[in-house]
Amino acid sequence: MANTETALKEALASIEGATGVALVDYTSGMALGTMGGSKSFDLTVAAAGNTDVVRSKLRTMEHLGLKGQIEDILITLSDQYHLIRLISGRGGNGLFLYLVLDAKRANLAMARHQLKKIEEDLEV
Amino acid sequence: MTTVRMPPPLPTRLRTQIPSGGLSPMLSRLAAERATGVLMREGGMLYLSDGQVMYAESPATPGLDVLLIARGALDEDGWREAVAQAGARRLVGRFLVDSGRISQGALELCHLGALYDAAYFVLGPSSAPARFRYGEPHWLGPVRPVPVTAVERETVRRRELLHGIWPDPAADEAPLVRADRPPGATVAPRQEAVLARIDGVSTATDISRVLGRPAFHTLVDVRRLAAAGFVTPRAAEPDPAGPAPGSPTPVPVEEFPLFTDPHITLLKRLRDALEAL
Repeated sequence: MANTETALKEALASIEGATGVALVDYTSGMALGTMGGSKSFDLTVAAAGNTDVVRSKLRTMEHLGLKGQIEDILITLSDQYHLIRLISGRGGNGLFLYLVLDAKRANLAMARHQLKKIEEDLEV
Repeated sequence: MTTVRMPPPLPTRLRTQIPSGGLSPMLSRLAAERATGVLMREGGMLYLSDGQVMYAESPATPGLDVLLIARGALDEDGWREAVAQAGARRLVGRFLVDSGRISQGALELCHLGALYDAAYFVLGPSSAPARFRYGEPHWLGPVRPVPVTAVERETVRRRELLHGIWPDPAADEAPLVRADRPPGATVAPRQEAVLARIDGVSTATDISRVLGRPAFHTLVDVRRLAAAGFVTPRAAEPDPAGPAPGSPTPVPVEEFPLFTDPHITLLKRLRDALEAL
């Protein structure tokens, strides 16, 4: 696999409209790597907060007795998309990729597809 | 309904915000002077190189080897050989990658996980003085150095996270006992694995080692389980029923005395001043 920095750089460079990406451990809420973001958009804060989103969804699925795995979670804002992709590799237990997209420039279907490819590359 | 026994307040400093001098004034100074060596504190050791944190070790946490082996990223023989071959040159990390045993990315992620995990315990509140020995790089070698400020920020964030889940820290170090399962409550699979290993003797640290998970992650699970009423720390008095037959005799937990001495504030200020020297 690529090293984490390369994988995140690739995500930012190759996905149209991507403005930030983070690799996050969802038990601790720690961002193991971030790329992009800005002064007004702190990716480490976003990473920590979104662990709660992932945890709530997993819990709700348990309560409902759903056996499927979460592939990704999409949040749409008026001007941004946030895409969360859970890493399912054998050692990736408990990690997710968090991608911030500019809604005007992004192609959602394409971004989803590319993020999946980057997840495969990471194969942690 | 579970009754929660709140322990007496401990005379440690509550630091949910980084004071101006950093979590450890000594560490901030070492970072500023770009020191290389090892910082020894009550909770473990931080290895610095050029003022950056290279690695951290704590008796409370499983090491990088345990995490790598538990994830299936490496086997025990592979680890042993790497330490034998490259330990003396202090380049074990690079050897693991160069010899194709593990990818750079997987090593980095596990290394960061282990570093921040141990650093949380090393930088925990302590009453013992810290020491620094110059010029001793860690045998793992450089993998991914982290600035001191990042380690401090993450440590404080982790403290707040735990406090937000369940404010009683008693379950962090004490042997854990299972409480009556609250009716209708469910537990996430990762927490179920923790719950299954609670036997009245093991502490959160013991459970992390068995599961091959970072100790902080187990603390998060334990505090969530405590908040939901599944788990309580064992009281200081030995259980009247005694430990299960065949299990090792548990070491009694030390009960902290109540501090009522008005001079305690003065002593704490003195300690702070001495540590800041």
